[in-house]
Amino acid sequence: MTHCTPAIKRRALLPIHLPFALLLGITTAATAQDFGDFKSWTLTSKAWQALERQQYEEGLTFIAKTKELYEAEAVRQQAGLSDFLPADKAQEAWALNDVGTCYFIEAQIRERQRDAAAAAAAYKKLASSYRFAQCWDPKGWFWRPAEAAAEKVKQMDFDSLLDK
Amino acid sequence: MTLHRQLASWTAAPLGASTLRALVAAVAAGLASSEAAPAAEPAAGAARVSGGSVVRVSGDAHSGYRLLRNGEPFVIRGVGGTARPELLASCGGNCLRTWSAAAADERAGDRPLIDAAHEHGIAVTIGLWLGHERHGFDYRDPAQVARQREQVEAAVRRFKDHPALLAWGLGNEMEGPTGDGDGAAVWREVNVLAELVRAIDPNHPVMPVVANVNPAKLRAIREHAPDIDILGVNAYGDVAGVGARLRSAGWTKPYCITEYGLPGPWEVPLTAWNAPIEPSSRQKAAATFVAHADIMADSRQCLGAHAFLWGQKQEATASWFGMLLPGGEKTPRVDALTRAWTGSWPADRAPLLKEIEMPLENARVAAGITIAVRARYEDPEGAALSYAWEVVAESSDRRLGGDAERRPEPVAAAIVRAGDDGTAVVRTPATSGPYRLFVTVRDGAGSGCIDNWAFFVEP
Repeated sequence: MTHCTPAIKRRALLPIHLPFALLLGITTAATAQDFGDFKSWTLTSKAWQALERQQYEEGLTFIAKTKELYEAEAVRQQAGLSDFLPADKAQEAWALNDVGTCYFIEAQIRERQRDAAAAAAAYKKLASSYRFAQCWDPKGWFWRPAEAAAEKVKQMDFDSLLDK
Repeated sequence: MTLHRQLASWTAAPLGASTLRALVAAVAAGLASSEAAPAAEPAAGAARVSGGSVVRVSGDAHSGYRLLRNGEPFVIRGVGGTARPELLASCGGNCLRTWSAAAADERAGDRPLIDAAHEHGIAVTIGLWLGHERHGFDYRDPAQVARQREQVEAAVRRFKDHPALLAWGLGNEMEGPTGDGDGAAVWREVNVLAELVRAIDPNHPVMPVVANVNPAKLRAIREHAPDIDILGVNAYGDVAGVGARLRSAGWTKPYCITEYGLPGPWEVPLTAWNAPIEPSSRQKAAATFVAHADIMADSRQCLGAHAFLWGQKQEATASWFGMLLPGGEKTPRVDALTRAWTGSWPADRAPLLKEIEMPLENARVAAGITIAVRARYEDPEGAALSYAWEVVAESSDRRLGGDAERRPEPVAAAIVRAGDDGTAVVRTPATSGPYRLFVTVRDGAGSGCIDNWAFFVEP
């Protein structure tokens, strides 16, 4: 799958989110994890980088933090859409995009860990719940994590046929 | 004036409609005069089978398209390559695609490939190779263009009456494997060639083949090459979206997927040292099966597909795209296509990867140490398997667009010992750098499997 980074331009978090996010960061168990500014695209970027460095547990930690802070907003943004946002408005669904992308990264990590069941679960969750998430590819376009996930689910279904 | 000299007199400058009509008339006149002349002796090795086919595209953008071969609907269940037409037939495939006309004359046993294909009921999309600008071909050079037209004409005359001929694959990614591919000179010449081919052979559709699609390329094709019959599209990781991308760019003609199968080395994650992580043999089989289903779901506009590659080649690695081992054994990808085409597994299936213990996988290791590895395969019919391991340096001869790459030589003495249970002991090379550990597994009955794992030897 093509490498992806979150959308280049990102609206600033609404003020109400940032202190809340920081508060959650402080009150969670002490950890050496550097969550940066706790913004969704920061956490997602760090998850991608961890995947590339094969630091899978670190990647899962970033993904877990993204879900903890932003999944509710992602659900809300998904519910408010009936189709993909055009490219110039895609960043308006910032939480949906980043949470959806995180599910994709999670599934990729689980595949590399050879945990097919967990990978399939992440792909299926993404395909069914975050259909309109988009992810910016540095090559110059948005790709659709849920569609890629749906393909992966089909491939995993076929793989299970191989042994029958 | 001979036909090819008439053609050479046309410049590569843009041709207006009246000029194009005159060109077609000249070709037709040339054809009539050549047919009135005594037939020349066929060149040595020319196809001996005669009695041509008639292949048409029927339908329209509203009701959908289909290919009619000698009046019967024909959905392309094809592969790209020239190996083993008898195997393709036994798998339920019905079409081979070549990248050049010369390939149709390659020996398959004691006869040309195209005759062997016909004997096994396999149709052939014959490629008419066109020059690439990145290789130095200049579509604005009248001499080069004229020479290419002569070559195209000769190839069409040679094979147009062969019963196995399905369609003409005009070029392959001649617009460039990367970039927008919207150069007007290329597409104008493609249109001239399409008209030339049809004037000589009105019985087979003309299908230029491109590297994926984008709005700029499609706009250029619609504007400068409006007379093609079918668009051939090579697409890999994103092949599922080709139909939608075509339609959103206003493409209303039929298309065929001319290469597909699995993500390419340019589409997959990389190791920390930027080596592409190759999908496993199981993943490749799954990707091919799902891609086929996605392609064929577009039954209104898509005429079928050719999976890549029916054979084997060095492209990033020795195993990335090849569906057959060097000895001709079929791999799990072939079984996946059989399942896709027929709904059933073949009687004898390829070995399947079951478990691995691979500390080398995507790892940095010291030089000259020994490491125990295990890759256990099972044969679905229970046949005993043979394992052949080798360590190969990462390719340093990476090319664009499928251009020929040199295969690295195996590292001597890298395999300390190997068992018939999938275990092996590997001695890491003394020289630092990127490498791959390959294992080739065979069932001794015509099926096999190959996988590899990338690792890096530290200085």
